[in-house]
Amino acid sequence: MEFKTVLTTCPYCGCGCGLLLEILDGRLIGTLPSKTSPVNQGRLCVKGWSVHEFVTSPNRLIRPLVRKADRLVESSWDEALDLSARRLKEIKERHGPDSIAVLTSAKCTNEENYLLQKLTRAAIGTNNIDHCARL
Amino acid sequence: MTNSIEEIESADCILIFGSNTSIAHPLIATRVFRAKARGAKVIVADPRKIPIVLQSDLHLQHRLGTDVALINGLMHIILKNGWERKAFISERTENLEEFRKVVEKYSPDRVSEITGVPVKDLETAAQYYAKAERGSILYTMGITQHTTGVDNVKSLANLSMLTGNIGRESTGVNPLRGQNNVQGACDMGGLPNVYSGYQPVTDQAVRQKFEEAWRAELSARVGLTATEMFPAALEGRVKAMVILGENPVLSDADSHHVEKALEALDFLLVIDIFNTPTSDLAHVVLAGASFAEKEGTFTNTERRVQMVRKAIEPPGDARVDWRIIQELSNRLGYSMDYDSPRAVMEEIARVTPSYAGIRYDRLQGDGLQWPCPSTDHPGTKFLHQGKFTRGKGLFSAIEYKPPAEVADEAYPFQLTTGRIHVHYHTGTMTRNSPSLEREVNECLLEINPEDARELGIGEGDRVLVSSRRGSVSTRVKLTETEKRGTVFMPFHFFESRANILTNPMFDPVAKIPEFKVCAVKIEKMETGSAR
Amino acid sequence: MSKKIKETVRTLLVEGKIRGFLGLIERDGHVMPHLFGDPQELEHLSLGDHGRAGDARYPLNQILIQLMRAYPEETFAVLVRGCDERGLRELFKWQQLREEKVIPIGLGCPEELARACECEKPFPDNLLDGPKGEKVEGQKVARVNAMDIDARLRFWKAEFDRCIKCLGCRNICPMCFCKECTLEEANLIDSGEIPPANPTFHLVRAIHMVGRCIDCGLCEEACPADIPLRTLYKKVAEIVSEEFGYKTGYTVDEKSPFNIIEVK
Ligand code: SF4
Ligand code: SF4
Ligand code: SF4
Repeated sequence: MEFKTVLTTCPYCGCGCGLLLEILDGRLIGTLPSKTSPVNQGRLCVKGWSVHEFVTSPNRLIRPLVRKADRLVESSWDEALDLSARRLKEIKERHGPDSIAVLTSAKCTNEENYLLQKLTRAAIGTNNIDHCARL
Repeated sequence: MTNSIEEIESADCILIFGSNTSIAHPLIATRVFRAKARGAKVIVADPRKIPIVLQSDLHLQHRLGTDVALINGLMHIILKNGWERKAFISERTENLEEFRKVVEKYSPDRVSEITGVPVKDLETAAQYYAKAERGSILYTMGITQHTTGVDNVKSLANLSMLTGNIGRESTGVNPLRGQNNVQGACDMGGLPNVYSGYQPVTDQAVRQKFEEAWRAELSARVGLTATEMFPAALEGRVKAMVILGENPVLSDADSHHVEKALEALDFLLVIDIFNTPTSDLAHVVLAGASFAEKEGTFTNTERRVQMVRKAIEPPGDARVDWRIIQELSNRLGYSMDYDSPRAVMEEIARVTPSYAGIRYDRLQGDGLQWPCPSTDHPGTKFLHQGKFTRGKGLFSAIEYKPPAEVADEAYPFQLTTGRIHVHYHTGTMTRNSPSLEREVNECLLEINPEDARELGIGEGDRVLVSSRRGSVSTRVKLTETEKRGTVFMPFHFFESRANILTNPMFDPVAKIPEFKVCAVKIEKMETGSAR
Repeated sequence: MSKKIKETVRTLLVEGKIRGFLGLIERDGHVMPHLFGDPQELEHLSLGDHGRAGDARYPLNQILIQLMRAYPEETFAVLVRGCDERGLRELFKWQQLREEKVIPIGLGCPEELARACECEKPFPDNLLDGPKGEKVEGQKVARVNAMDIDARLRFWKAEFDRCIKCLGCRNICPMCFCKECTLEEANLIDSGEIPPANPTFHLVRAIHMVGRCIDCGLCEEACPADIPLRTLYKKVAEIVSEEFGYKTGYTVDEKSPFNIIEVK
């Protein structure tokens, strides 16, 4: 038996509230505000209080999907990644790197954003990268 | 934000401009409540009677899209009464005279006519803010999502410089970032013109530095913004897109147009944690991990870099996104070999001056606010102390321009869009949270009861809302929140997509679409004809 | 840091008397709830003081309920202050926890905290460490009592106007354990309204806390609107004490006048 709380940062608005995820035997069972966070000092809004709900939703994607005969069907990681890389390479070769555009995410981590812009600029060779800061 | 969240508490005047603070940034509203309890004056400038108005001393309910006129009007009054901070202006700013010429044209009477705000209220607001020892401005998308978004922001900067309310504790011009890591996505170079830390791709020395660090040849051409990508896809200039955790079909203006653009692509790759209307159009969808399943950092609206810690494993075969990106890069022939997000942050610190002092070990406790140029630097609570980034602060002379689309006979209402308290953005996460969905599970068009009566519409009736770009059906809610002639729709709901209606016309500099104003008409639908 | 508490818990763990100790741990520069199963971890034990005395208190009893639902046959020790002990007693009576499965580890509160809480009994009877502090005479309820009835209503309505319906007051409450919550009953409180029905929302909650609220103050500390909720519930407790002669959490055998359900 294991129960612990893990301190992390709210995935919703830009306040960046500190929250504690309650973990019982590897399962996420609830959320508490961090009392010691300088931002929210033990408070959360209604969205922050409910983060465990979407994380554990049965609707989560759990496997890659690939379009076949106009339907998205489950596939292996190798198949999905190989296909993606092949198509992107073909398009880059035929139409040049600026024919590819990338939207990175205001919901992902700094590290992921950094890597995706690096991929866009260094691996694809275009500056066509943006995210929805404007939205 | 130029300043920090906790500083808001000690301001003695807070001007909230186009920010539905208690709904969209609840924990910043907390600080406003506290300032108010300590005796601060709170002014809300917003076309809607949003909940924070209940806590204000003054509500300037200006017409949609008349922000520049309103701000110029306040500055006109300040100059006329000699309330400007002369010492600050002469020491730290330039171009006051040019600016004064434009502001002189915005007499209270004229501004009152454009904005609909009574002259007396303009005067009170100008006085509260100008006379404050510590005046703080908070703003969000109500300011930026206009064809004049950049003008609006510059106008607020003018107002703060004129009164010396910047570069000190509890002052500043503070954009509240709407999404948890918008700040970080910008900081990390998720923008078409800059690498991480806002280093321009067009600067040869910078480019060379990155070419060496990354061992790759890099393009000097500024890329496309998100709002330019979709037209480019329709024109065939963009053939493939990679979309990480975004849902432009719901979030972008003129939704139909975005859908057509994505359908026109030869290849669309989406990485997300749920199926979305955007991933439905993809050729490949990769199952990513939620924040609870990975390690990394987010940067909040006050530039505070904080840890995200892994609490559980991703479900099924889903994978953490940084690994997905790395594997894709390797398959594209560009090798990436990080063993952890910590290693990625070490590289970020090496190439990004404002993050140079950031290390995971230093982020325990309260995190760090950038700029943090070295490992012994404590981080930066507020910006522009003693000096602006560009040296002297520049007053910009800005004329008012009406919104790109105003109500007319055919489309007699002005529609504005935004959030509601239980939902977030396109609802991908919140609509999968049963307790939030229970609170509100459908779109409601908010309309003033008088307007509704004239249209013969009652509470909960279904209506067809149409703009020049399309129509959506939704039920209505009668509320005094809206003034006559203005209606509001949240953009979270796929069933009633507000962004089918919105105007994709964007600000020429910031390329932000005018989500906050477009013209619509409203027709009652007969029961049974719901579509 | 209390040696006594650490040693007592260590002994309980080593002797196998408990499956774990539910307390607070210091980690990542913060304080958070944790189930200590390994005596080694006790090195990082925290008693909930971070910047100020008791500023990092958490609803441990609420977590304990979840643990005991998952492991009904196990025995746990739990860190309790005066209010938490009152909570345990009521939770036993409400059949949410089984007394024979819980070992309270009692901690008395320093005067500074007792004053801030205006606490009637700032220590548990099961006191293991910390002071056996004095009852603090409350000022806050007295101030509200001093207002005439119209001023009082105006005062509360102005406070409630700031409510953003985060439901944090309910979520953090160690004594809110209902499966269905009246605050979500759409016939009583319109959904989707901010601020929520004023004052219905707050009075509904206050009434539902009769005989349950043990005056821990966690709700008020969790309120993003800084509404003086604790004062409201203290007032309710005062009425219940005067009208029904019942003081929540002070006795082990007597049940609240609102706890009339018989479970066999
Ligand atoms: S809990 Fe609410 S206020 Fe805090 S970061 Fe999350 S969404 Fe924002
Ligand atoms: S003080 Fe608040 S949190 Fe504590 S028991 Fe009473 S209602 Fe619940
Ligand atoms: S914690 Fe405060 S703001 Fe949240 S619902 Fe309760 S009273 Fe309202």
